[in-house]
Amino acid sequence: MLLFDHVSKSFGDLRAVDDLSFELEAGEVFGLLGPNGAGKTTAINMAVGLLEPDEGVVRFAGETFDRDPREAENRQALGLAPQSIALYEEISSADNLRFFGRLHGLKGPDLEERVSACLDFADLTDVRKKSVSKYSGGMKRRLNLAVAIVHDPDLVLLDEPTVGVDPQSRNAIFDRVEQLRDDGKQIVYTTHYMEEAQRLCDRVAIMDRGRLMALDTVRALIEAHGGPGKLAVQTGDKESIHDTTDPLGTLAQLQERETVEHFQYRPPDLETVFLNLTGRALRD
Amino acid sequence: MSKIVAMAAKDIRILFRDKLGFFFTVFFPLMMAIFFGAMFANLSRGPANIPVALVDEDRTAGSERFVTRLEAAGGLELEQLPREQALEQVRRGQTAVMVTLSPGFGAAMDNPFQTTPRVELAVDPTQFAAAGMTRGILLEVAGAELQALMTDSARIQATNDRNRRLIEQFTPPSAARDDFLTFIELSSRVSTLVEQLGLDGNATGAVAGGFGPPLEIGQTEVQAEQRGPTNSYASSFPQAMLWVLIGGSVSFSMSIAIERSRGTLMRLLVSPITTRHLLAAKGLACLTTTLVTSTALITLGVTVFGVKPTSYPLLALALLCASICFCGIMMALSVIGKTEQAAAGVGWGLALPFSMLGGGMVPLFLMPEWMQLLGNISPMKWTLVAYEGAIWRGFTLTEMLAPCAVLVGIGVVAFAIGARNLRWHTG
Repeated sequence: MLLFDHVSKSFGDLRAVDDLSFELEAGEVFGLLGPNGAGKTTAINMAVGLLEPDEGVVRFAGETFDRDPREAENRQALGLAPQSIALYEEISSADNLRFFGRLHGLKGPDLEERVSACLDFADLTDVRKKSVSKYSGGMKRRLNLAVAIVHDPDLVLLDEPTVGVDPQSRNAIFDRVEQLRDDGKQIVYTTHYMEEAQRLCDRVAIMDRGRLMALDTVRALIEAHGGPGKLAVQTGDKESIHDTTDPLGTLAQLQERETVEHFQYRPPDLETVFLNLTGRALRD
Repeated sequence: MSKIVAMAAKDIRILFRDKLGFFFTVFFPLMMAIFFGAMFANLSRGPANIPVALVDEDRTAGSERFVTRLEAAGGLELEQLPREQALEQVRRGQTAVMVTLSPGFGAAMDNPFQTTPRVELAVDPTQFAAAGMTRGILLEVAGAELQALMTDSARIQATNDRNRRLIEQFTPPSAARDDFLTFIELSSRVSTLVEQLGLDGNATGAVAGGFGPPLEIGQTEVQAEQRGPTNSYASSFPQAMLWVLIGGSVSFSMSIAIERSRGTLMRLLVSPITTRHLLAAKGLACLTTTLVTSTALITLGVTVFGVKPTSYPLLALALLCASICFCGIMMALSVIGKTEQAAAGVGWGLALPFSMLGGGMVPLFLMPEWMQLLGNISPMKWTLVAYEGAIWRGFTLTEMLAPCAVLVGIGVVAFAIGARNLRWHTG
């Protein structure tokens, strides 16, 4: 559905995206994980045709990837929820959905049907006539997402959709992303929260400073780059941390020598994958 | 104290980092200083040359002498024309004032004690300041002429001789007649005395003192002269309609900046529409708003304030062309100002000097020639020309074509500049 083939993009001296290549597989949620400045948003902007790559090609749709997102008519198959909330706050959620639906060629009963479906999706049916300026941050986030799918696109790009929302609203957004996946949409999901990537994404591309560091399923990434887990053990007044790939075995060995009062095991995750790949923590 | 200094230093640093803020803090005042400096420098060299069409219907030695003196006085750019042509020049806004010396003017100048000489002014109603200055110069020249008459022994003698002949010929003998002849005789002796004292043609203004105004000046507005009674709203409504356009274009340029800052511009650009669609929609919205608002305003002028446009079709043409121009300007402004504050700042920051250059705030004749020439690039000037042409100057279609062509030209170029740059300012 979406192909990046050796794509690079610079802004002056800054190489925002450097030789990025990946290909989306059918029905997957594809994560772009990296800290701020990794090049995720630049990649998204190229995917939707807002930016033109300096090198390489971006194509989407079909087995032959024959569509250029810079051509307006091709963008009918794309839906973007930008990182910042991009809505007309003076008008209602229903009117926002209607407006963007019309831009995508919807009209009449089809338009109204999609508007209702999107309001349900965002759980905003009860407040459909209220102007968006009166919504909470979480409601705006959900509407921001709903507007991206009003025209029922095959490929949905979500650029850091949970930035600035409370944990409850974040969970609500996760539920909706999973719903989209269940509906058969292909999703590109950018985030700098490894928990989100780990929960939602089938495959994850780890980016740092414009470069693709690794790309695979979460499990494969952890196996390949996660290293051993951390076993924290308290014996008497002493605390110790042990690197281990077999926490039960390690714990048994420790118990043979002394009495373990408390222990905590932290398996390797995408955070440790990023640390091992870049030498820096994801939130640095 | 150090905290206050730190905060002040931070604010100053931020101001100078903001290029637009820096422009309005430093360069805009400088621009104003240059504008007004150049204008006042022009004024300090004496009255600027006010374009005046002179109609000498008297064609006597007296009227010609007055014209010669008027030319020498400076401050007026005189052009002698037949009455109709002169009136046409004022109507078209090419000349501020028409001065008419009617038959009998020269005789009155030669004998101001019998009849006060009179001139008639026909004034462009948007140029009252120029008319006021012209009146001043006319009075000054008439005073100088009277002074010359009072100190020129030959002219005094000739006037006395003529008056004496007229009295002796037409007035029956009486005590009053004898008194008047005695006065003329005394006046002749004064002229001899003037000659003997060597004051001939070289006297001070005091010699002419003690009389009433040396000249009567009648004044009409050229629109009234052309088309019967009308009112001052005919000239104030074009100005108001111009500000509708300025306000509309600044507001719409802000709307693009608002779309950009709230992110909806990005949403629009990733939907299946082209940049051309987007620009056309913005242009259409701006065009519709300015057209509807301007039409509502002139409708109010016509129905409530008695404004009577000379041609409704030409007014419609002027409205359309001016709206096209300002929609183009809107598009150009929207790419200069990336935020709504910047767009508003740039919009009003440009509107003021262009209004000044276009004669919207300061009469053009007060400006030096180079500034008047520069005024031709001001869309405000051409908008006023087109509006006034349709509302009260009575333009023909041919006369309307020039301002309309300029307006559409400016609009298209500005729109193209804006459209070309808009896409690259979304990020």
